[in-house]
Amino acid sequence: MERTGADIRFENATVTYPNGHAGLKGITLDIPAGQMVGVVGLSGAGKSTLVRTINGLVPLSAGSIAVGGHTLTGRGGTQLRGRELRELRSNVGMVFQSFNLAKRTTVINNVLMGRLYHSPAWRTLLGAWKNDDVELAMRALERVEIVGKAYEPAASLSGGQQQRVAIARALAQRPQVILADEPVASLDPPTSHVVMRDLARINAELGITVVVNLHFLDLARTYSERLIGMRAGEIVFDGTGAEADEAVFESIYGRSLTAEDVLEARAEL
Amino acid sequence: MSQAAAPSAPYMGQRPSKPRRGRPTAAAVVVLAAITVWAGLGVGVDLAAIGRNWQNAVVNTTQLLQPDYAFFPKTIPALLETLNMAVIATFIGSLLSVPLAFLASRATNPNAPLLGAVRFGMNLIRSVPDILYAAILVAVVGVGALSGIMALVLFNVGIIVKLVSEALDAEDLGAQEAALAAGATWTGANRSAMLPQILPSLASQVLYTFEINIRASTVIGLVGAGGLGILIDNVRSFFRYHELSLIILEILVMVLVLEALSSALRKRLV
Amino acid sequence: MSVETATSKPAPAAPPGPGRLHQRPARPAHWGRKALWLLVSLIVVAAFWSVKIKWSALADFGPQLVKYLGLMFGPPDWSKFGEAFSAVVLSVQMAWIGTVLGILISFPLSFLAARGLAPRAVNWPLRVLFAVIRAVPEVVIAILILSVTGLTPFTGALALAVGSVGTLGKWGYESFEGVDPGPKEAVRSTGGGTLALIRWGIWPSAAPEVLSFWLYRFEINVRASAILGLIGAGGIGKMLTDNVQFRNWDAVGMLLLVVIVVTMIIDQLSGAVRNRLVNGSWRPPRSRGRNRPRR
Ligand SMILES: Nc1ncnc2c1ncn2[C@@H]1O[C@H](COP(=O)(O)OP(=O)(O)O)[C@@H](O)[C@H]1O
Ligand SMILES: [Mg+2]
Repeated sequence: MERTGADIRFENATVTYPNGHAGLKGITLDIPAGQMVGVVGLSGAGKSTLVRTINGLVPLSAGSIAVGGHTLTGRGGTQLRGRELRELRSNVGMVFQSFNLAKRTTVINNVLMGRLYHSPAWRTLLGAWKNDDVELAMRALERVEIVGKAYEPAASLSGGQQQRVAIARALAQRPQVILADEPVASLDPPTSHVVMRDLARINAELGITVVVNLHFLDLARTYSERLIGMRAGEIVFDGTGAEADEAVFESIYGRSLTAEDVLEARAEL
Repeated sequence: MSQAAAPSAPYMGQRPSKPRRGRPTAAAVVVLAAITVWAGLGVGVDLAAIGRNWQNAVVNTTQLLQPDYAFFPKTIPALLETLNMAVIATFIGSLLSVPLAFLASRATNPNAPLLGAVRFGMNLIRSVPDILYAAILVAVVGVGALSGIMALVLFNVGIIVKLVSEALDAEDLGAQEAALAAGATWTGANRSAMLPQILPSLASQVLYTFEINIRASTVIGLVGAGGLGILIDNVRSFFRYHELSLIILEILVMVLVLEALSSALRKRLV
Repeated sequence: MSVETATSKPAPAAPPGPGRLHQRPARPAHWGRKALWLLVSLIVVAAFWSVKIKWSALADFGPQLVKYLGLMFGPPDWSKFGEAFSAVVLSVQMAWIGTVLGILISFPLSFLAARGLAPRAVNWPLRVLFAVIRAVPEVVIAILILSVTGLTPFTGALALAVGSVGTLGKWGYESFEGVDPGPKEAVRSTGGGTLALIRWGIWPSAAPEVLSFWLYRFEINVRASAILGLIGAGGIGKMLTDNVQFRNWDAVGMLLLVVIVVTMIIDQLSGAVRNRLVNGSWRPPRSRGRNRPRR
């Protein structure tokens, strides 16, 4: 019943923001289906830009990105719009740094937002969800072990619980890809591990391709099979965690490793 | 950041000159005073009249303090009509306002030309006083509650859309972004991510509008649009202050009861 | 960046073992909410059912509306522009004087109505007074003071002034009571009296909001002044009744145009000043949420 992951192929993907700032400088990158990739880099390196191009939240200026059967292109090409773009997005779940839940409504309603693409407009407007969709949402909540809170307002949950609800929302899409943009940056160290473990488990059990941006190098090393280092809109490292030594670190961060860059060190502070 | 925190020594050591904020303030005061004098001349402020005629006020007030309770049965139909008009207008006004508010907020309407058009239309609707609507609608659909309700609806849409769209503008857009990222349409994202967030302020707006409607529907009757206003017009033409007094008392009780009820409800909502 | 700003309560290090979080909860029934909706629906249905309306009048509402819009605006009576403009100006003047007088009266009263600035025995009567005034429509107030100042625009201005006291008084004391306690304590701790407290502990924080309320009330008064013309106080309402009576619709159209244009200009100006006062910028604040997705 569950679907497998999709591969993601960047071809010379370029993003120039309206103010002229180069967010991505011609990235070419191949992420095979089912891989868990950690993206690290300084703040402003272009990590968010990279993942946000994958579901079209940030439009490409040039080049292309193929996600499963869909291709996003820059302004020159035939840009995905309307229903086609939404179809691509429905195959790609996204987890945000600040959880992005509608805090005043219930947990289950938040998870059901993952089914919006598949719901006809009248059901959406009336809030009359299909039983199948509710079942899917419940199962997603069970997978992140928080189904007991289904009917509570999202605002009443702790940060870690809210992020797990957000993961369930992404899972409810039955996605082929999950993107996570600094998913643990608002959480304390122990909770960060819970959330990262959830993402890793989803990747392992469901075969969903996971691309996760992380500020902390050690978290990325621990949880991802492949590490991508970014700096100034370019990829400066692509390899396994084991290969990422001190020299590689300097090329990504432009300086040597400090306690600031490691979650465990901060946890001990 | 560290540079800003440690400014060079001479700067902190020097006494700065007092900033000249006085000049714009003085200019503003002069302008405001000039407008006030101009308006005062236009209106014909005549404080002496108060000195000359204050006895009239005493006579009126004593009459007012003795409401003619025997008049009460005759006011019941108008009283009920006022309540009915307020309820119906609030209901229809709220139903129309919700979609319009979403169209009128930068946060929920990505279509710039449509956004501009809706906002302009709303400003237009809001700029016409309710009594003008009532007077015109009485001519169009005839004397009675219908014209009053329509006038109130227009008036309500103006208020609710403005306040709710401002609430939407101030709302966090995270959940909406997440819904769009999951493949939702703008309508779907707004419905499921934004609507729940503004529901409390919407409900509180609706209650507030209901209060205003009670007050307004007592007045628009003056031009024939139903409700207590028609009675007010009758009794004042014949200087029947005891009866006017009863009507005022009724409005007072109605509004105070509703205000108490709705402020209790609003406290629970927000 | 993360640990310090985390809004979360600390969560357990490991997912909790089998327990409440793992069991699907029953869907809550929300009886209270359902009862409330039922009550509201009943009230609405009762209102529709009992109101005496010839709904059939709605059938030809469209054509009728077009007909009257045609009478009013096709074209409006430009020869009445001067009269309409004077009427609107007079209404605006009434609104201005009403607002100014309302501010002068309500300003001291709202301090006396604020808790902590005057004894309870003074607070409460004032609050009741404000509530009573708010309940009475301006036109009724005007009828009451008619016998003192006669059928003049000044009567209208006075009625608006009294009406403004009701709202400005309430908004004033609410805003004084809502002021951040920090500066208040600072003034108290230096031994300042109540006047010093008001001037240095309360006014600086409350001023932007209170000033913006004054402007907002002016916007309301501009609209309310139209009603007062109906009982003879002059301005928009007078020109309206005079012309509706004789079915001079093109003159009404002219009046409507001037009202709309003048009111929209006043609203824009006042809105910009209010934004300046409250947010420090002439334009409204931008939405929160940084990375706006595009279509
Ligand atoms: N909407 C935007 N407009 C202009 N510049 C932007 C925008 N979003 C991001 N940038 C710039 O692009 C660069 C990369 O940003 P981002 O992808 O958010 O980096 P990261 O996620 O690694 O911190 C930064 O220099 C940032 O200032
Ligand atoms: Mg980022």
